[in-house]
Amino acid sequence: MSCKKETKLVAIVDDDDSVRDTLQELLRSAGFPSRGFDSAEAFLTSGNQQETACLITDIRMPGMSGLELQSRLNAERCKIPTIFITAHGDEEMRFQALRAGAVEFLPKPFDDEVLLESVRAALER
Amino acid sequence: MGQLDKTKWTAEPAISVALCYGLAVVSVAAALGLSLAFTHFHLPQPFGAFALSAIALTFWYAGTAPGVLAAVLSSIVRDYLFEPNTSTESRLLFDLVFLVFAFLMTRVARVRNQLELRVAERTAELTQLNDNLKREIAKHNQVEAELRLSEAYLAEAQRLSHTGSWAWSPPPGDIRYWSEECYRVQGFDPKGVRPRFETFFQRIHPDDQARIAEVIERAVREKKEFEFDYRIIHPGGEIRYARSVGHPILGPSGDLVEFVGTIIDVSDRRQAEKERERLREAQADLAHASRMTTMGELTASLAHEVNQPITAVVNGASTCIRWLTRDDPDLGEAREAASGVIRNAKRAADIINRIRSISKKGESKRQLVDVNELIGEMIALLRNEANRYSISIRTDLDTELPKVMADSVQVQQVMMNLIMNSIDAMKNVDRTRELVVQSRRAEDQYLMISVSDSGLGLPAEQEKQIFDAFFTTKPHGLGMGLRISRSIVESHGGRLWAANNSPHGASFSFTLPIPIGVSEQRSKPSDAHTNV
Repeated sequence: MSCKKETKLVAIVDDDDSVRDTLQELLRSAGFPSRGFDSAEAFLTSGNQQETACLITDIRMPGMSGLELQSRLNAERCKIPTIFITAHGDEEMRFQALRAGAVEFLPKPFDDEVLLESVRAALER
Repeated sequence: MGQLDKTKWTAEPAISVALCYGLAVVSVAAALGLSLAFTHFHLPQPFGAFALSAIALTFWYAGTAPGVLAAVLSSIVRDYLFEPNTSTESRLLFDLVFLVFAFLMTRVARVRNQLELRVAERTAELTQLNDNLKREIAKHNQVEAELRLSEAYLAEAQRLSHTGSWAWSPPPGDIRYWSEECYRVQGFDPKGVRPRFETFFQRIHPDDQARIAEVIERAVREKKEFEFDYRIIHPGGEIRYARSVGHPILGPSGDLVEFVGTIIDVSDRRQAEKERERLREAQADLAHASRMTTMGELTASLAHEVNQPITAVVNGASTCIRWLTRDDPDLGEAREAASGVIRNAKRAADIINRIRSISKKGESKRQLVDVNELIGEMIALLRNEANRYSISIRTDLDTELPKVMADSVQVQQVMMNLIMNSIDAMKNVDRTRELVVQSRRAEDQYLMISVSDSGLGLPAEQEKQIFDAFFTTKPHGLGMGLRISRSIVESHGGRLWAANNSPHGASFSFTLPIPIGVSEQRSKPSDAHTNV
């Protein structure tokens, strides 16, 4: 299955409600439409992959991790520009994410300008 | 003849009757024999006098009927053997004399019988009194023996409990009574002379004397009870710790008569308390060290847990600024974002407080706690650690549980230890990794909290050793976690145990007693069945 981006929707996958909600608000203030998912599985079963132009995902989550989600999407030939956000960032994980095609790897808490710039870059791809 | 002899006769009536009448015959026969002997030696014939003696003797010893028989026999003997030729008038006169004598003797015998009866009654009374007296003496002896036994028990009890009793009259009086144990406690010879108050006071540690003198003076002045702790310096220089309690005894007019009280040697108790305190401190230190070790293992997870709300705060603050710095500032949206900042900052503070409270080292503080709240807080702290190994945590909490009296930090330490063990048991298994925390009411006024997992289960054939100190299956484990947890649970009056689950995994459960009277205080309704 392949994904064809038809909209500018940003999907946010994070099991922490507060992070997810505030990210959505931040994106809304910057004019980006977004949708939140509390797990990788929820995103995959939502059927929103096709309309997702940028994916912001946490790495460590119950069930499927952010990296596993990226692998799954890659395997499905669904190339969604992905920005990883994590509170456990280390160099190895960052390298692994970027090698798998991540747009950015941001440790929590991150600078809003950096994130928004990364989102813009992802949407322009 | 006494009452006892008569009683004996009454016991054998045939013999006694024969004896009585026999005495009449024998006494008259004796009078006859003596009279014949007198006649043989040409002495004046004295049968009349002997017959009267025989009649008197028979009346006295054998009673009225044998006496009458003796009188009749005497009359016959005299008439036919000594005075056969006497005129009828003379015989009648003699018979009359015998008859009158017999009558008089009957009266005498009756009086004697009455006297004997009175004597017997009086004797019976005296015997009764004597018996009563003997009983009283026996009772007195028994009471005395019991008193002596009681005194011996009391002395032994005083010796065992190191408690002496005393009585003391304030000046110009002195110590009036000192039990043996007082001598021992104060370092005097129990066989020695009772010390004077001044001597006793000199044994008190110099640093305590002024304080005690003041307490005693006030008690004497106000006629009130007193109590003080003090140190005693024994002759060998050993310092002992004692407590004395005194109670005033007042006279009818309200004047102070004396104080009675006790001296208790509390040195051993103080020493034991110190030891217990040291043990408590050592246990608290060990528990704290164990908590800190676990918290150290959790550093990454706890940092993540704190980082989440901080990230939300930063996001919210950035959003707020964005709404405010637009060409057309949107104050409503900015206010909403700022509210989120506050909310998330508080959440971060809560998490930090939870970490701080479980990390702090302090005295055990027991209060009524809601175990479901403690479970919720602990899961919030450990959720990320579970996420790290793709372990889902499910709770099954009874929202109707009453509160329990417990040290929340210690109970959370137990929960943390059990949850961490479960995570450890599951992190390398290939099946579904699920950790279930359950709370429910158990039997006999207990609550039960269980932590179940789908991990490796208990080490084979070592199910019982897992609670031993220094037993561990972890490469870097200290083997103290479960030991400390069991110690904490047992100090709360509960029980901690483990069992294998079917088909795999293990469950660790512990109980906590519900205090009497709090069964109606329910837990706050919470997410009874949740997955986190």
